[in-house]
Amino acid sequence: MCDFGRVSARRSQTLWHALAHGVSAGAPPTLSFMRPARPYVGLGYHRPAAEVDLAWCREAGLPVYRRKAGGGVVYLDDAQLFFQITVPATSLPAARGAALRHLLAPAVAAWRAAGVDARLDPAGEVVVGEIPALGIKVCGHAAAQIGGAVVVVGNLIERFDHDAAARVLALPPDARAEAARLMRRFVAATPADAATFQSAAVAAYGEALGLEVVPGHMSSDERRHLAHLDVHFGTARWLAGPVAGRPLPAARTVKIRAGVFVVTAEAAAARLMAGVVGDKVERAVLSAPEWNGTAGPLAAGLEGLSLSEARSRLAGAGAAGAGLADALAGLRLTAA
Amino acid sequence: MEPTTELAEVAGFPVDLARAYDPQTHLWVLDQGGGRLRVGLDALGVETSGTLAAVAFIGGGTELARGEPFGSLEAAKFVGPFLAPVAGRLTAVNDAVLADPSLVERDPYGAGWLVEFDTTGFEAPGTLVAGRDAVNAWFAATVEDYRIKGLVAE
Repeated sequence: MCDFGRVSARRSQTLWHALAHGVSAGAPPTLSFMRPARPYVGLGYHRPAAEVDLAWCREAGLPVYRRKAGGGVVYLDDAQLFFQITVPATSLPAARGAALRHLLAPAVAAWRAAGVDARLDPAGEVVVGEIPALGIKVCGHAAAQIGGAVVVVGNLIERFDHDAAARVLALPPDARAEAARLMRRFVAATPADAATFQSAAVAAYGEALGLEVVPGHMSSDERRHLAHLDVHFGTARWLAGPVAGRPLPAARTVKIRAGVFVVTAEAAAARLMAGVVGDKVERAVLSAPEWNGTAGPLAAGLEGLSLSEARSRLAGAGAAGAGLADALAGLRLTAA
Repeated sequence: MEPTTELAEVAGFPVDLARAYDPQTHLWVLDQGGGRLRVGLDALGVETSGTLAAVAFIGGGTELARGEPFGSLEAAKFVGPFLAPVAGRLTAVNDAVLADPSLVERDPYGAGWLVEFDTTGFEAPGTLVAGRDAVNAWFAATVEDYRIKGLVAE
């Protein structure tokens, strides 16, 4: 177990990537903790950097770092305690979903030990609340296989700055406002004491992995790799990522939690913004020159429909609607 | 010319028995002649990955040893590598699956292929499962094992 305490924004990423390198090379399974000393923005491995409002982040002094793990654009600050569990890939079930649940279950046990009635929902989110399929997310998580190691990262949210988390997204103002609205509803801090959670997590992961947890430190090999990553993660090439050069699609989503999305689509001068909750459009805004005066009722008519039903409705709403329907055709509401 | 596909059902999953398979990665390998091999994800690999959110590949022309990553996939916020089932030079990537990863799920042995390697001058693939009977037996045993472990549905 490595407790790194408060570290720089970049180190809060590079440390666990270096630990994964070490576990891949034969180091024992490692549970680590850290919190970033300053706010920054994290970007999932496959997401275009253009999903971040880079200009605003630069002006606000927020660094942006890509991670090797999945998911989207996230805002991180010192009110979030981050944990990472890193194990050999060969120790995990062959199915990704099962592997994720295996490595998140001890964290859920830790929340419960810290007094938070958390559970893993069917989509693999750590949630609280009464609604079975649409609980309130209390942990942002992601995972990666790095060499022969798998690392699952998560956070205990002590306070969450919903406005900052929405502001860093490269979205039109109405879509950003919708993202903030849905974040307030579906992403929450927990009252768990961080030290209690951390102690409980150490016990729960030790029990789950059948290992005695002992305080540890990085090996010299991990430190060498860390020094390399500290440079690499600051390069434009790493920030551009494996999707460099790919244009943003005409329709895209910002995921708030599994089953909750903000959808934006553009086709010529037509535009759609929708908040989707549990496969139903909850709020929609449409605009197109040809809908002069009728966009409001058309948008209202989309509310309550599934996204595929909304797409069918748009397909019959003139050239602008057909264009938006085409743009939405390629959209997938995945867990990423 | 697109390769032909003859799918059989093995333990409830579609399998092209005429292809070779890497049991470690669930990638199929199809010999297209002249040292050129096409590679894709088999149906069990698709099932255990979950809904694909993204795939990415390294640049064409890269020379790889067997087991080195030629790209990555993401499902359920879990990013993992595609590991080369053979040694060779990456000569083509399927742009269609970059744009629409669901192609891999909908047509894993056809339009959802991933990449092609030129293996001329590289070490011959050694540990692939090939031959109709061997593929059938390996695939059925793997599905049975995964079902016992609760990793795929009955």
